[in-house]
Amino acid sequence: MRAYEAVVVAALLTIPLLFGGGYVLHLVITTSLMIIAAMSLNLVFGYTGQLSLGHVAFFGIGAYVSALSSLGFTIGFTEEWSVSVDPKPVWLSFIFAVIVSGIFGFLIGKVSFRIRGAYFVIVSISFAEVVRLVALNWVSLTQGPMALNNIPPFELPIPGLDINYYGKTWSFYLVLALGVLAYVVIARLVRSRVGNAMIALRENEPLASSVGIDVTHYLVLGAVVSAAIAGAAGSLYAHYIRIIDPDVFLFIYTVTMIIMIVTGGKGTLAGPLVGGVLFGAIPPLLREVADPELQWILYGGLMIAVMFFMPDGMVPAAQRFWMRLRASWKGPLAANAND
Amino acid sequence: MDQFLQHAMNAAILGSTYALLGIGLTMIFGIMRVVNFTHGELYTFGAYMTFFFVMVAGVNFFLSLALAIVLGIALGALIEFVLLRPLRGADIDITMLVMIGAWIVMQNTEQMVWGGVAKSIDTPFPEEPLTLGPVSVPWLRVFIFAAAIALIAGTHMFIHRTRLGKAMRATFQDRDTAALMGININGINMLTFALGSGLAAAAGALLAPAFIVTITMGNPVALKAFAVVILGGLGNFWGAAIGGFILAIVEEFGAVYISSGYRDATGFLLIILVLTFRPTGLFARRERIG
Amino acid sequence: MNIRTSVLALSGLLCTAFAVQAPAQETIKIGVNMPLTGPVAASGNYIANGARIAADRINAAGGVLGKKLELLIEDNKGNPTEAAAVAEKLISRDKVPVMMGAWSSTFTLAVMPKLMEHQVPMLVETSSSEKITRSGNPWIFRIAPTSSMEAKVFAQKLGNLPIKKAAFLVTNNDFGIGAAQEFSKALKERGVQIGITETMDPHAQDLSAQLSKLKATDADTIFVTSVVEQLTLVLRQAKALRMTQRIVTTGGSQAPDQLIQQAGSAANDSYHIVFFTPWFPEQAVNKDVAIALVDEWKKRGYNPSGLTEGFRGFDGILTIAEAIRIAGKAEPKAIQQAFWKVKVKGVNGDISFAKDGPASKESGQSTANVYMIQIKDGKVAPVSF
Repeated sequence: MRAYEAVVVAALLTIPLLFGGGYVLHLVITTSLMIIAAMSLNLVFGYTGQLSLGHVAFFGIGAYVSALSSLGFTIGFTEEWSVSVDPKPVWLSFIFAVIVSGIFGFLIGKVSFRIRGAYFVIVSISFAEVVRLVALNWVSLTQGPMALNNIPPFELPIPGLDINYYGKTWSFYLVLALGVLAYVVIARLVRSRVGNAMIALRENEPLASSVGIDVTHYLVLGAVVSAAIAGAAGSLYAHYIRIIDPDVFLFIYTVTMIIMIVTGGKGTLAGPLVGGVLFGAIPPLLREVADPELQWILYGGLMIAVMFFMPDGMVPAAQRFWMRLRASWKGPLAANAND
Repeated sequence: MDQFLQHAMNAAILGSTYALLGIGLTMIFGIMRVVNFTHGELYTFGAYMTFFFVMVAGVNFFLSLALAIVLGIALGALIEFVLLRPLRGADIDITMLVMIGAWIVMQNTEQMVWGGVAKSIDTPFPEEPLTLGPVSVPWLRVFIFAAAIALIAGTHMFIHRTRLGKAMRATFQDRDTAALMGININGINMLTFALGSGLAAAAGALLAPAFIVTITMGNPVALKAFAVVILGGLGNFWGAAIGGFILAIVEEFGAVYISSGYRDATGFLLIILVLTFRPTGLFARRERIG
Repeated sequence: MNIRTSVLALSGLLCTAFAVQAPAQETIKIGVNMPLTGPVAASGNYIANGARIAADRINAAGGVLGKKLELLIEDNKGNPTEAAAVAEKLISRDKVPVMMGAWSSTFTLAVMPKLMEHQVPMLVETSSSEKITRSGNPWIFRIAPTSSMEAKVFAQKLGNLPIKKAAFLVTNNDFGIGAAQEFSKALKERGVQIGITETMDPHAQDLSAQLSKLKATDADTIFVTSVVEQLTLVLRQAKALRMTQRIVTTGGSQAPDQLIQQAGSAANDSYHIVFFTPWFPEQAVNKDVAIALVDEWKKRGYNPSGLTEGFRGFDGILTIAEAIRIAGKAEPKAIQQAFWKVKVKGVNGDISFAKDGPASKESGQSTANVYMIQIKDGKVAPVSF
């Protein structure tokens, strides 16, 4: 891991100590989960260039799978025959969530191979909508709009430590752990040959394909990893908020993730984090001073402004700024050397 | 059989409005390659404008509809000029995001201006519905159907019989060549977006008196418009028109014979199926815009 | 009203800040968690208004325990995650000892884990899901009736309404589906035949498919459960289809005045099961309180069609205030214990809590009164049950 990344993680570890108060920590946790989902979307959107606007579906699928398997469920196929599953331990439910989301990611990856561009955008949105409607209408399984509640918290017995699983500190560290893991997985993927292949795909697909890069393979790989991470985040969300209803699949959440990625900088590792912190912090701050509608208007306006003035996102803009600073310190010759 | 006819009638009326929405969106999509997230908001705008003119300003019903459409066209032109033109040449995702930002701003501005309580609009039509045997249709719906068909026909004539329409078709087929031939691409873009937005506003204006006007009425509509565009193929005028009817039929009969809860899902499932097996739409081989 | 909310919130925060320096603060805070924006914003605002009237009335009479009540009204934006966040803020940051909320059952369910975590009681004023009082959460006290209560009372008073076969048209959420299930059960016990149940997406505007299906059945009465906007559409479209079945709406969110205004003559001859009849407050069980609310509501220029929901906020705050008085201090645990001893004369009726739910973790549930009205010639008329 690079030095600055380790520093950031160390700093993050101290957050519960600084913000022990419930409200801020709660916001940090929910925003962080959204950021993790945004990071996973960035893998597909930023690196392979696939405009997947249905990403919240994987988050929601992870949440439902994890919730259902930890609560136990029954599917009635016919009048006489039904399949009942007993409640499973939460850590196992988490794993199921990751796997099932990954499977859906695989399917979408396959589909995206055949359909690109604007069509894929619409298919991905439709996918999320269909999943939402299924969650809404298959009441006997998902409780539909009545929501799954009383979802057990994430219990992971660590011998020797007395942990309050209902408390926020534990949840925060769990989310942080997932965040770091997700970051590491994505970073390693992106910095490897696989990552280079993905970027080649994004920049010029026919060329990449002609050089021998297996387009399908990399698209699908990106989709699976991305979906699995989103599913993991969804699972933690379910066990933290402890109530899940079909609104978790709403398009607006995908939009939030997209905003985080694009304003931060798509195709960069830090992008979703920067964008996430900015757009995660803004709504609660704005809530104190402005009408809710005004808040959203500012949100939308800010998004448009960022797109106009910093279309690559803030991280690359900051990087360019930093480069220019360094160049002006070291002189014109040194600037060339850095290029 | 009676029921079947009633449902067929409902589907036809619904289909005509879906067609209006789809045609507007497919034009924008086809000519400008923009994923227009504000389409649903133009629909809502048309509805609220009709409400304003009829209920607040006391203007004649039909005149109000016309005014709402004109304002929709104007708003579309404004959006194109302010937001889209400066972005010409940018990545599709940047344009998409600006459109999403615009959607958020528009919807919330509407909430601030009109408040959250739903509004209803009085119509000059008699309350007793028109009865054709076992089928009964409210007069308003008859009017909606007729107006929608008229607008569709009008748009088609515009695209095929006028020079401007020809310029639009040319731009759709090959933008660069069209530019070389002296066509003012900026102007065509503005025209397309304004026209498409105007059609969306028209759909909203027509349907508003039949239903009620709420802030979020545009959201499900936008998604359905996308479904219609997919069904018909990007940029395909008749594809969108027919696609609109197909979607309405699938929805209406799906709601009756399969399940009313899954009604909206049938539309999306349709999209996914079509795209998996015929990605360019059901009517791809046929004429595009023109 | 939103500016007021912000000012209230800001002043709430300032109070908390100053509380550190000035321990002798003069107000008792009550948190109110309502959807002030979003699709059900109208309802949320009506309840907030009812709450304000109650608080002002109590303060005018000297407050509680010598201190004034202060309402911290927060917007949960009509979504469960936000409802939970609002609860978190009210409890952790603003340190309210008691809350009221959160309108819809899903929002209330989302808030419930927070109550367990922080051990703060909440009064539920509207949510109707069974789960709320059956989940083993001893911090919940509900004055709103559940769908099963509503159905049972209605079935008992069937009297003047000859219903042979009933069908249902409900929204596709716990509010609607719960109502269909409970009314089916209660009516069946009275020998009424039960027909089909059609559902509608809460945002659906075109209900002709469902209505056409219902028209073709042999049910003579259709029970419709939804919010006022969708009910308007149902009534209008039913009339357009020339449906002859009798329509009875349930749930308490109907705002009959608004129905008359927006559905016009299509609203005639429909029946509505409500929990307060502001058109004839003299008929209420506690008519002084009812008349006082109606008068004050009109005086403040609030939308009169909001009274059918606004009373819930009013009754809620009255109940909370009484609990604080009995507790003797503005402290969560004490208030929770005090709720069990509350006896309040509210607008809907007499309020007191009985145990509901799993043993040793019971929630409190009050039995509400149910009224029925009908719309005749564009006006609300009482129905003799």
